[in-house]
Amino acid sequence: MSDHLISILYLDDEEQNLVSFRALFRRDYQVFTAITASEAVEVLNNHEVHVVFSDQKMPDLSGVEFFELIQPDFPDPIRILLTGYADIEAVIDAINKGQVYRYLTKPWDENELRITIENAFDLYNSRKQVSAKQTELEKAYAELEKFVYSASHDLRAPLLSIKGIINLARQENDPNKFREYFNMIDVSINRLDAFVQNIIHYYQNEKHEGNHGSVWFESLLNEIIGSLKYTEGADRVQFRIKVNQDRPFHSDELRLRIILSNLLSNAMKFRDPSKPDAWVQVEVHVDNKRCTLNVSDNGPGITPEDQPRVFDMFFRSQHNQGGTGIGLYIVKEAVEKLNGRISLHSTRGNGTSFVIELPEKE
Amino acid sequence: MISPERLNILLVDDNDIDIAVNTKLLKLAELTDNIYSFNSGRQFIEFLDTNMNGLKKKVNVVLMDIMMPGMDGFQCLEKVKELPEDALRSIFAFMLTSSIDRNDIIKAEKSGIVRQVLEKPLDVYLVKKFLRDIYLQSQGSE
Repeated sequence: MSDHLISILYLDDEEQNLVSFRALFRRDYQVFTAITASEAVEVLNNHEVHVVFSDQKMPDLSGVEFFELIQPDFPDPIRILLTGYADIEAVIDAINKGQVYRYLTKPWDENELRITIENAFDLYNSRKQVSAKQTELEKAYAELEKFVYSASHDLRAPLLSIKGIINLARQENDPNKFREYFNMIDVSINRLDAFVQNIIHYYQNEKHEGNHGSVWFESLLNEIIGSLKYTEGADRVQFRIKVNQDRPFHSDELRLRIILSNLLSNAMKFRDPSKPDAWVQVEVHVDNKRCTLNVSDNGPGITPEDQPRVFDMFFRSQHNQGGTGIGLYIVKEAVEKLNGRISLHSTRGNGTSFVIELPEKE
Repeated sequence: MISPERLNILLVDDNDIDIAVNTKLLKLAELTDNIYSFNSGRQFIEFLDTNMNGLKKKVNVVLMDIMMPGMDGFQCLEKVKELPEDALRSIFAFMLTSSIDRNDIIKAEKSGIVRQVLEKPLDVYLVKKFLRDIYLQSQGSE
């Protein structure tokens, strides 16, 4: 016996049949009845119906015709025909064409009816699950395709740069020049590593069920800034933290870490090199059941044309040197997984600020 | 062989390391002192527009990265094709890529001005060979 309330629609031109059916099943299932096809369509429009029964012999249209009618708009409910022995020919045709799942002969047998309903509901559920899985798979394939295309560039490019450097070094006679080549190799390796880490973050974010813990933002931020210390540009950026939090915030620390480290590392990477006093500020307000994060900087800002696209996978602005284009995509996905919202405020030449609102996890 | 004064080599790549390495490699090959580099398609187009009169008297070999943010290599070429005929004739374009994709080869053929699609890292021996081909071709047509 299922624990989910099965919802059934029964169409028949004879009132007596509708009454009997309802009497039999109203305690176990959610039963809707209709005496005309248009009444039946009305029910389908307003309720989620799992199983539809229809009488075959009706004055306006046959049961098979009714099912043909509703199939385009309501393909999901499982269709079952109730028919007298004489109508078998028409019914078999409909079954073979896939219109109808099963037929039952009148007068019905209560047990057979129940078993049919349960089986039909199982089928309904299975199909729904498959459909959901398919959508998930399609999304995964689309992302994989984008990833493979971009990977061939983002994974290989730094390696090929290094090959070029090595070619050069082999022709080099002056050993003093080697330090310069080693620095260039180091930069390429960091780029590649950053990309790989981004991919890992992305999949951790996608697959991870989420851990629930108490988060204190001040120490989390200090940890993240500490880990960014050896990244290029860290010594040229001033980090400012302003946390307003008097009680722990219950949330997924892994995802918060992904969000904050990506935003901070972006702000650092794309700072305005002409400004001697480049800074990145993180302001956190923890309120009743929610928190607001504001990551802002005095970098070059983001143009209005680029703004709608910055969260797209692999989008890179022409104004930025370096970067993989996946950081903000990951941030957005992580925010969504936490049921939060992210917004961007920026003008070119005037810095950028990302505002994230997150509810507390129950 | 094309004389160094008549030759310009123009590098277009968003990757600063590749620009640095390729510039050095080409200088070591002693083909010419006229090596110019650009970080974006847009910068390159601006340069062409401003310096066209001087450029069209020379042989301009362009080594352009395909994958660049903003305007990619092929989009940049479309802009280059808007130049007047006499300037266009002086430009020989080679596309550089991290991995040769069939679509890129097709795009290159369709563009009409790409001589060859080359795989990174840049092989200077290949560049020398292509320069020789260009020289011989120009000798033949004079």
